[in-house]
Amino acid sequence: MNKLKLNYTSLSFLPILVCIPLGYQLINNIHFGGFKLFQEFLISAFNPKINNEIIFTVIKRLNETILIGFFSWLVSIIFGAIFGIISSNIFYKIFNIPNFFYRIIRFFLTIIRSIHEVVWGILLMQIYGINFSIGIIAICIPYIAVNSKVFAEQLETIDYKSFESINQINAPKFSSLLTLIWNPIINTFKNFGLYRFECSIRSTVILGLFGIGGIGTSIFLSFQTLNFRELWTYLWSLAILIILSGLIFKKIKFNTTNKILSIFFISVFFITILFSFSYFLYFIFNNNFENFNSASSLFKSSSDLGLFDFLKLILETIILSLLSTGIAISLPPLVIGIFNNNTSKIFIKFFAFLLRLIPTPVILLTLLTFNSPSVSLAALTLGLHNAGITSKLLFTNLDSQDKRNYIAMKSLGISKKTSWLLGLFSQQAKSYLAYCAYRSDIIIRETAIVGVIGSVGLGWQLQESLSSFAWQEVTLVLIAYSSIAIVGELINGKIKNSLT
Amino acid sequence: MNNTVLELENISYKYKNDLILNKINLKINSGEKIALLGKSGSGKTTLISILNGTIKPTQGEVKLFNESFEELDRKQKSKITTIWQDLRLIEDLSAEQNVNCGLLAENNFYFAFKNLLNISSFKKAHKYMKLCRLHNSIYDKKIRKLSGGQKQRVAIARSLIQESNILLADEPFNNLDPKLITTIKNLLLENVDKNKIKKSPKTALVALHRLDLLNDFDKVIGMRDGKIFFNLKRNNLKKIHLEKIY
Repeated sequence: MNKLKLNYTSLSFLPILVCIPLGYQLINNIHFGGFKLFQEFLISAFNPKINNEIIFTVIKRLNETILIGFFSWLVSIIFGAIFGIISSNIFYKIFNIPNFFYRIIRFFLTIIRSIHEVVWGILLMQIYGINFSIGIIAICIPYIAVNSKVFAEQLETIDYKSFESINQINAPKFSSLLTLIWNPIINTFKNFGLYRFECSIRSTVILGLFGIGGIGTSIFLSFQTLNFRELWTYLWSLAILIILSGLIFKKIKFNTTNKILSIFFISVFFITILFSFSYFLYFIFNNNFENFNSASSLFKSSSDLGLFDFLKLILETIILSLLSTGIAISLPPLVIGIFNNNTSKIFIKFFAFLLRLIPTPVILLTLLTFNSPSVSLAALTLGLHNAGITSKLLFTNLDSQDKRNYIAMKSLGISKKTSWLLGLFSQQAKSYLAYCAYRSDIIIRETAIVGVIGSVGLGWQLQESLSSFAWQEVTLVLIAYSSIAIVGELINGKIKNSLT
Repeated sequence: MNNTVLELENISYKYKNDLILNKINLKINSGEKIALLGKSGSGKTTLISILNGTIKPTQGEVKLFNESFEELDRKQKSKITTIWQDLRLIEDLSAEQNVNCGLLAENNFYFAFKNLLNISSFKKAHKYMKLCRLHNSIYDKKIRKLSGGQKQRVAIARSLIQESNILLADEPFNNLDPKLITTIKNLLLENVDKNKIKKSPKTALVALHRLDLLNDFDKVIGMRDGKIFFNLKRNNLKKIHLEKIY
């Protein structure tokens, strides 16, 4: 018997096997009472509520969302670039600083990054209460760390010989640094930074579901009151905002040789830094920290969480991550491969857009109308949402790919599906898997969101512990959560390196 | 009077398990024009990298103006300029911005900033680019859009604009046509109209492969397997010497 050989193409489909245990549990947990609600939810998508009152609310809520999203994006991109510079090896080479500091900063940023903005948001809300700036801070903390990683990675691609050449001119160190990093920073901002605005808006919406304000709060309130028509008005307005922002950013051309524009950007850069620092000082001195006193009992409060239960939660979180990742990897190529015609493509793209648009807590709450809370349901939610994201990338790559192999195979009489699989997808499989490895880092962090809503894993425990001010438990959960994310990031990093 | 500007004392350089340079002793006097000959892999580029302080020798000491290279400050070190074999230009910057990078040592951070924003003066850069026979249509072009010969001349202009006392050049005539080679050679070795150029390097060590270019040099150094095989006045160079290194 021939030995089974796995290649990148088969590896892209294999994870769909997670659907077997997942489907089994979902079928067992089904309850038909909520189907009517689910049906109502779907029908409302085509009949959103439109009147003066709701339009006024939409405008007000979108304004809040844009403000939180914009400021958190601006601050996180600027500080992300700064931290990216000081966590890149080029900085240490130019200033002859021992690598020890480099490792400390990187480790610190990895920890910050490992905790999702929703967790930061819930924590900060518990300590300082709900206010507008908490939303910005909660998004900024992990985003700065995420952005800094991307900036640092780009700076590390600087040709070492260029560094030696500039270094040999013996220019002042800051001049050398600036000359070397200028273009990589600008290019990273153009290619990655602008896309982060959309992420910032999405995070604002999710934080809104937890009460921070903006359109997310309205979405959550309309869901709670089962006012699905109103809910879809908010969702469609959010879709318009995301599409518009994408179009605007696509049109923006950053001409670094335009003097006035350059001076404007530099002014924004410094004003943001100054404003952030002054706000930080204001925040420190103006907060009476009454609520924060409860955090001082961090090490005094006892934990009722048993070791077995704690390990079970960790295991649940890991299983949740693996199942969701499996769906996010395999579902897009499977669906695109099976329904491989132009009409289906439009439907798949539209459905994928909806999966990206609807915040995961809303997807989960919708599915909860006819299914009991379980790891499988949370995994399905997270998997579907991320499949929406991975399918966007897959479509983009497939559309821009050379189709000669595909045409040649079809001309040989090979079926359309097989030609697609071998002539098109097989050439994308490796880079697709590499992106999925990166995506799974995010999925691990996102387990917290579905955990809180879907009563599974460490996310749920975090919510429980915070509600009862059990700070020791909160610390334990955060350490465990962060450790899983860091280990996941290390494993995915190895996978990514082997694929690129 | 001691007029040694650069000195290598018992220099060895090991990379992993390979001995690239083996106990090199060399004195370069002010105003000398030295040609450095040797096969590829004989250690010429490593020697130049040690002379300009880019790599530290495994053993031995480098002296610039009779002082240990390690103890010199930035301004003193900037008296050496290098033209690299692989040019080492910044691909994302324009030709004129790259040439202006040569002025970073004598200017402050603000100048670097202005250069990147394209709001600094390029007058001096253009002067040197013109001397290197670069057409003004390529001044604002990104390096990656230039031909090999144009890139070569941008690297030379960046080096000349530094107006340093000592020039180290690693095969600077690559990618140039014969007419340009003469012009560039004259520029590098100071045989140029004083009105056109303020100051070109007075002392030069140039790694070469083409023996027909030796005429303007005072001395010739031959390297093989990381060692200096001969260090002679050009007039004393014989065929037998060349046979030893090639």
